[in-house]
Amino acid sequence: MKYVGVGFVKIDPRTKLIMVFSLSTLAVFVVDAPLLTVVLLVSIIVANFFNEDWGFLQRARKFIFLLVGIVFLQSIFSPSGQIVLSLGNFSVLTTGGLLKGIRVILRMLIIIISATIMAGSSPREIIQGLIQWKIPYEIAFMVSLSIRFIPILGEEAKDAFTAIQLRGIEIDKLSMSKRFKVYSYMFMPVLSGVIHRARELSTSLEARAFRAFPDRTSYIKLKLENTDYVIMTISIFFAISILSIYLLMG
Amino acid sequence: MKEVFNNRPFIEVNNVTFAYKKSDIILKDISTSFKKGEFTAIIGPNGSGKTTFGKLITGILTSNKGNIFVEGQNIEEISLGTIGKKIGYLFQQPSRQLFNPTVREEIGFAHSFMGEDEKVVEEKVDKIIKEFSLDGLEDSSPYKISRGERQRVALASIFINEPSFLILDEPTTGLDMVRKEKLSHLLQDLKDKGMGIIVISHDDKFINKNAERVIEICGGGLCEN
Repeated sequence: MKYVGVGFVKIDPRTKLIMVFSLSTLAVFVVDAPLLTVVLLVSIIVANFFNEDWGFLQRARKFIFLLVGIVFLQSIFSPSGQIVLSLGNFSVLTTGGLLKGIRVILRMLIIIISATIMAGSSPREIIQGLIQWKIPYEIAFMVSLSIRFIPILGEEAKDAFTAIQLRGIEIDKLSMSKRFKVYSYMFMPVLSGVIHRARELSTSLEARAFRAFPDRTSYIKLKLENTDYVIMTISIFFAISILSIYLLMG
Repeated sequence: MKEVFNNRPFIEVNNVTFAYKKSDIILKDISTSFKKGEFTAIIGPNGSGKTTFGKLITGILTSNKGNIFVEGQNIEEISLGTIGKKIGYLFQQPSRQLFNPTVREEIGFAHSFMGEDEKVVEEKVDKIIKEFSLDGLEDSSPYKISRGERQRVALASIFINEPSFLILDEPTTGLDMVRKEKLSHLLQDLKDKGMGIIVISHDDKFINKNAERVIEICGGGLCEN
């Protein structure tokens, strides 16, 4: 069966995994801010081919304070260079800290944006890709399950937050410490839901004779096309080139 | 002027339209109202938008068009916390609204954040425990009791706020005949005390026995029986 992708470009999920792996490897190893910016731009261009909906970025706007906070934390705990902002003798923002903060933000953005390349592939296709890479079915299945459960957990956390407010608690009027205390209560129903779901899942897996036979047949068979090989080669070549430039720069 | 306000229904729904993102319209141009002391049932096939409607009138979801008023106030201008003090909402799965390790702590949970005196809260909790026949379960975990008991704990936790209105989403699911009967008595008592009740349900027997008004959601609109 020929794999049919979703989005503007139709390619094998394994090719997408190679792309994500190449970009996120660069995010981890490269420390130079201009090079990280290049990697980020490439990530945005590539992810744009696979994502029709960038709405998640708009929803992520509320985390901007977190990014700004990272810059300040870097400046406070590892100050270097010239002082940009200070409170008495205490340096709040330094040029070195600012640069470190920017690097952390660039890395986070590369990892998040490159991960969206996988958005168009269904968990079933990803699992099949991993199996055809000779990764044991049990591990591939666990990876696919964890991907599937992330949005469900998000929904449950959202429901718990709504339920807390509907109990008459006006969160906006609470002090910061009480607010954090309220948030901590959300874990109880979410955790209980996870345990309950895990139990049901394990029972149904047993009932369906999971792992009863060593070999499994699959309805979906993925086949790498020439386009996939070309994209994989370009991805690996790009990663090696950037790493080489970074290492040559010293 | 005051008299006019008092005659106003507790919840007013005016030309409300709602659709989830990237999906067809679920509710279209819906208008209705709900009074205190009235027992209304909302029925309809699976996926017709019953729960969505319940979530709209509690402010959990926001309508795409139209307005909803609670006690004359536009629901979009009130926080969920304020709505929660006026309208109690029982989720389809009560475990989603339980947050504490013991039944006693669960019932007093919201009030512990409202700056009330601890003794006053304790007295209220004791009273509610008796009213909802939860004696003996005070120190039990809300996650280790039966579904019927868990539902009563969730209801008791809502009642400590003394809401004027109650919305219950599929409250009879998983309850045996005896538990259904007990729930029926409890809701009738509350109705007699002047509370407005909306039950979203598939349970014809329960609805026929309790509801004085039945609203069916059909084809995205309301068909009142």
